[in-house]
Amino acid sequence: MLDRETLAFLQTGVSISLAACNGARLACMSRGMGCKVLDGGRRMAVFIKRSQSAELLDNIAATGKVACVFSLPSSNRTLQLKGEDAVAQPFDPADMAVVNHHIDEFVQEVVPLGMAEQVVRAVFACTADDLVTVVYSPSAVFSQTPGPKAGEPVGRAS
Amino acid sequence: MNVRLETIRECLEGIIPGHIGTCDAEGMPNLAYLSQVEFIDNEHVALSYQFFNRTRQNVLAGSPVRLLLTSHLTGAQYRAELQFLRTETAGPLFEQMKAKLAGIAAHTGMSGVFKLLGSDIYRVLSIEQVAGPTVAPPPPPVNYLTALRRAAQKLVGCANLECLLETALDSLQSEFGIGHVMLLMHDEGRGRLYTLASRGYPESGVGSEIPMGVGLIGISARERSPIRIGFMASEYTYGRTVRDSIAAEGYADTLETAIPLPGLPEARSQMAVPILACERVLGVLYVESVADLHFGYDDEDALVAFAAQLGQAILHHQQADELEEDAPAADSTPPTLAGPPLSIRHYAANDSVFLDDDYLIKGVAGAILWALLQDFVERGRTEFTNKGLRVDPRIRLPGVSDNLEARLVLLQRRLEERSAGIHLAKSGRGRYALAVDRPLELVAD
Repeated sequence: MLDRETLAFLQTGVSISLAACNGARLACMSRGMGCKVLDGGRRMAVFIKRSQSAELLDNIAATGKVACVFSLPSSNRTLQLKGEDAVAQPFDPADMAVVNHHIDEFVQEVVPLGMAEQVVRAVFACTADDLVTVVYSPSAVFSQTPGPKAGEPVGRAS
Repeated sequence: MNVRLETIRECLEGIIPGHIGTCDAEGMPNLAYLSQVEFIDNEHVALSYQFFNRTRQNVLAGSPVRLLLTSHLTGAQYRAELQFLRTETAGPLFEQMKAKLAGIAAHTGMSGVFKLLGSDIYRVLSIEQVAGPTVAPPPPPVNYLTALRRAAQKLVGCANLECLLETALDSLQSEFGIGHVMLLMHDEGRGRLYTLASRGYPESGVGSEIPMGVGLIGISARERSPIRIGFMASEYTYGRTVRDSIAAEGYADTLETAIPLPGLPEARSQMAVPILACERVLGVLYVESVADLHFGYDDEDALVAFAAQLGQAILHHQQADELEEDAPAADSTPPTLAGPPLSIRHYAANDSVFLDDDYLIKGVAGAILWALLQDFVERGRTEFTNKGLRVDPRIRLPGVSDNLEARLVLLQRRLEERSAGIHLAKSGRGRYALAVDRPLELVAD
C-alpha cells in the first residue's frame, strides 16, 4: 500500500515520532532522528536515541506494537504507520549518513517557518553510540493530515 | 512532578506541535500532533477537540494519555502524563481556545478546517524532562515583575480617572514596551464598550464603540477572561466583526459608527484583558502588534495583574467622585465672548450633537453636553457637579453603574480633539468646569 511517492515522502524532512504502550495502556514516545525504508516498503527502520527511550524500548520489547507519525511541517501532510512486529536492533554506524541527511532536510524545512536552527540542532543532536534502530512492518496506514478525514485508513500495507 | 508546568508554558504555544499518545483496548498505540494545548494551572491543561478521531475514541474509552512537548526556545523536551476529566463547550476557556485556534488555523493554512468543538480538560499527573542537550533561552524582552511593580506604583499616585487612564497607557508603553494599546470602558446599560484612551494610532478613536460579545474585545468582556491570539485571524479583526455584527443584529441605529475604532489593519498578535473590580466588568485593555506571537503567557499574566490593580483604582475614583464633592471654586464672571457664533445642533432622538454641522458625539455624553451648554447659554453657568448631573432629568443616566466620570472624560476628550472652543476640565473632586471661547447658538431638533 505504500506507493513510491509515499515512500519518498517518508524520507523527506518530516517530523518523526514513534510510540508504544505498556501493559497499562500508557503510551511513551520518542522523536525519530531519521528513518529508512527496507524491502521496498515492507519494513521501516526508525532511528531513536536510546538515552531518551528506555521506557519506549521496554514497551516495544513487551508488545511489538508501534505507531509512527511522519509529518511535513510546511504542508501539514501527515501519515501514521502502525505495526505489530517491532523489534529494536543495534544501530549500524553506516546509517549515520541517513540520520545526518534527515536532520539537514528537517532544518531546511522548519527554519523558513521561523524555528531557530540552533534549537532544532539541539533537539536532533545525536551520536551513533546512542542510537538504536527500531524495525517493523507497517500493517496499517492512516492519513492524519488535519481535517475531518484525519485518522481514516489509507489502506492496509501489504 | 519534577517540572512545574508554569515554567515550561512556551511548549504549549504550538510553535513546535506537541505529540499525544494514546492506546486502544487491544494495546495498539496511536500518535497524533496537537494543534493546541492551553495552560489552565499547574495541575490542568486543556486540549482542543476538533474532530472525533482515534485519539478521542481512545481517551473516551479510558486510555491513559501521554504528551511529548518541546520548547522552541531551548529545544528541551518533556513527557507529561495526563488524565482526562471533562469537556467544556462554552465559557471563558472555550472562547480563549477558540480564538487562539482561529489564529493557529490561519497561520497554518487550516482556516475552515480547524473548528473548536470542545475544550478537553485534563489533570496533569506528571512531567519529566527528556534527556538531551538544550540551548540557553534568549533573555525575555521585558522583566515582567519589574514592569508590573513600576506600573502599579505609578497608578498609586493618581488622584482621578483621567490620571489613571493616562498613567496606565503610558506605563504599558514605557514599562511593558507595548506600542499599540487602547482602553475601552463598559457601558453596562447599553451593552457596549467605548474607547476612552489609546496609544500608537494615527487617530485616538476616543468615543468609538464595539458591542459586548463582538470581536476579541467584546468576547473578552463578555467572558470576563483574557483572550490572546498569536497569528492574524480575520474572524477576530474589528472591521469585519463590527460590520458583521451591525448587519446581523441591527445595531446600526444605536452603535457609534461615525467614530472608527482605532486598530492596526494588519495586527498579527492581539490580546484583550478585561478590567474587573467587585464582580463588575469596568472595561477592557487591548494591545496588539504586527509581529506573530508577540504576546505570551507572561504578558498575559502581567496585564491581568495590572488590569486588576487598575480596576480597583478606577472603581475607587468613580465612587469617590460620586460620593464626595469639593467646595465650588469662587464664582468668576464668564468672559465676554466675541467672534462668529458656534452652532450647536442637538438631535433628541439619539442625543447626537453636531458642532457647525460636524458630528461630535451621541448618547449619554451627547445628552450631558447639551444640558451643560443649555445651562451655560441660559444662565451663564460654568460649574457643574457629578451629583447634579446624575439627578438631571435631561440626561437620563441609567444608574450608578453607568460610570458618569468616564462619560465626562470621554466628552472632554472629544471636545479637545475637535478644538471647537468648548473645554471641559475637572475643577475638583466631583466637579467640572465648562469654558467656552466663542458665542454659542443652540439649535434643538
